[in-house]
Amino acid sequence: MSKLSEALKNKKFAVTSEVGPPKGVNIKVCIEDAELIKDKVDAINVTDNQSAVMRISSMAVCHVLVEKGMEPVFQMVCRDKNRLGLQADLLGAWALGIQNVLCLTGDHNVMGDHPTSKPVFDIDSVQLIKAITDLNSGKDMVGNALDGAPNLFHGAVVTPESDPVEPQIIKMKKKIDAGAQFFQTQAVYDPVAFEKFMNKVSRFNVPVMVGIVVLKSPAMAKFMNENVAGIKVPVEIIKEMADTQKEDRVKKSIEISARIIRQVKALCQGVHIMPLGWDKHVPAILEQAGLY
Amino acid sequence: MVGQKQKPIDEIIKSLEGKEKIVIIGCGGCARLFKTGGDIEVRQMARTLAEKGKKVLAAISLPLGEFTCYIPQSRARIVQHKKEIEECDAILVLSCGDGLQIVNEILLEGDDKILKLVLPGNDTLGLMGGGPDLFKEKCQQCGECIVGMYAGICPLTQCAKELLNGPCGGYKKDKCETDPERDCAWIKIYKRLSDMGMLERIEEIVPPKDWKKRSRPRQISVK
Repeated sequence: MSKLSEALKNKKFAVTSEVGPPKGVNIKVCIEDAELIKDKVDAINVTDNQSAVMRISSMAVCHVLVEKGMEPVFQMVCRDKNRLGLQADLLGAWALGIQNVLCLTGDHNVMGDHPTSKPVFDIDSVQLIKAITDLNSGKDMVGNALDGAPNLFHGAVVTPESDPVEPQIIKMKKKIDAGAQFFQTQAVYDPVAFEKFMNKVSRFNVPVMVGIVVLKSPAMAKFMNENVAGIKVPVEIIKEMADTQKEDRVKKSIEISARIIRQVKALCQGVHIMPLGWDKHVPAILEQAGLY
Repeated sequence: MVGQKQKPIDEIIKSLEGKEKIVIIGCGGCARLFKTGGDIEVRQMARTLAEKGKKVLAAISLPLGEFTCYIPQSRARIVQHKKEIEECDAILVLSCGDGLQIVNEILLEGDDKILKLVLPGNDTLGLMGGGPDLFKEKCQQCGECIVGMYAGICPLTQCAKELLNGPCGGYKKDKCETDPERDCAWIKIYKRLSDMGMLERIEEIVPPKDWKKRSRPRQISVK
């Protein structure tokens, strides 16, 4: 059983963070980032061609983390492989010691650095979750028996600040019906909005880990508000960042992330911190949030 | 209808390099409505090719309602212009890819096969509805219509990620992450079903699509 599944099962407030595989084979920095946070988190997400930009495979980096005694969450998107490729990688991941998987649709190809590539999307995230549930039960997607079944702990994502949010909630329920065992959310900055969302989904009784994207600057907040769907940084937070001297921004950033975690902690079952390269500040965020 | 647009003229001229005597064949069906191969465009193409020094032996435009992709109609036109077709160096077809390939098939029929280079003047963009001025793709011919589940909106065609079980997290208001001008198909589906009080239609898990139904090329007998 993975540490993450155990933490969520035991109703311990679970903590995950993430690293992004680099474009190239030099994974030294990526592994160092993971090592900075490994003792403070239950598991570390490894993104899969994040933002539709081609990088070294998530599974390879996950495997290196396993070898170094860390616990990864293997992120898998539906954009780049068909149902044969996805199932094959899921079995491969398990054989390489990877126990957690996070299923995502994936950003569209035109958003990334290979915009002329053919989008696959053979199956969607709900069907991918169902496929893992099937593999765990010893069958592939078409019902053929497996010679040895994995026992993957599989989760999914949801975007609490989507507008409208109802279609997200309908899909979230379908993901649970398909077997999703936990959720990590898109970035949350507004505790009141998150509470409203949690009031609608807590009846599902599946652990939700609130997503925290570490805000580095007012410009980043404005960029996300304009360009990233489902992320809304309130003007007060942007102002708070803008009113802070540049040299104190890191401190302020840690303070804001920790504050949001404290504000929403009672509403959910864990936190997923996306530091976007600021991994070294994750321990301070967790400490100020009272989690470490 | 079969959506199409004419290729850039430079591309057409380049494809005709070294070929002097040309026959142009248009279409009185979709190509006429898409303004890519009706009588006006066929005459225009004949003038353009003449200006570029080509000798146009025949500029065959089909009357409205006569389809180049329909063998009985297409064959009659080809037989009418057999002499010019036999004499030409290349045939430029201003129809969809179906029309062009049917012309090719007719030329190869029977004992007196005509071996000619058949070149496309149009790019084919697939099934489209609308008109008279704007056409939009609504159906990708998956071979098993599913729009009954989705309030008459096809998520395979209208959603950039072909999602069958609900939207991704990439919509902003009602627009798609891939293009701020593009409507999110799933928000449309959600709103329409919500207005009809039928949201339960999208609450069940839809299994993976059977893509075998789209394996190509298909053929149908309507005897």
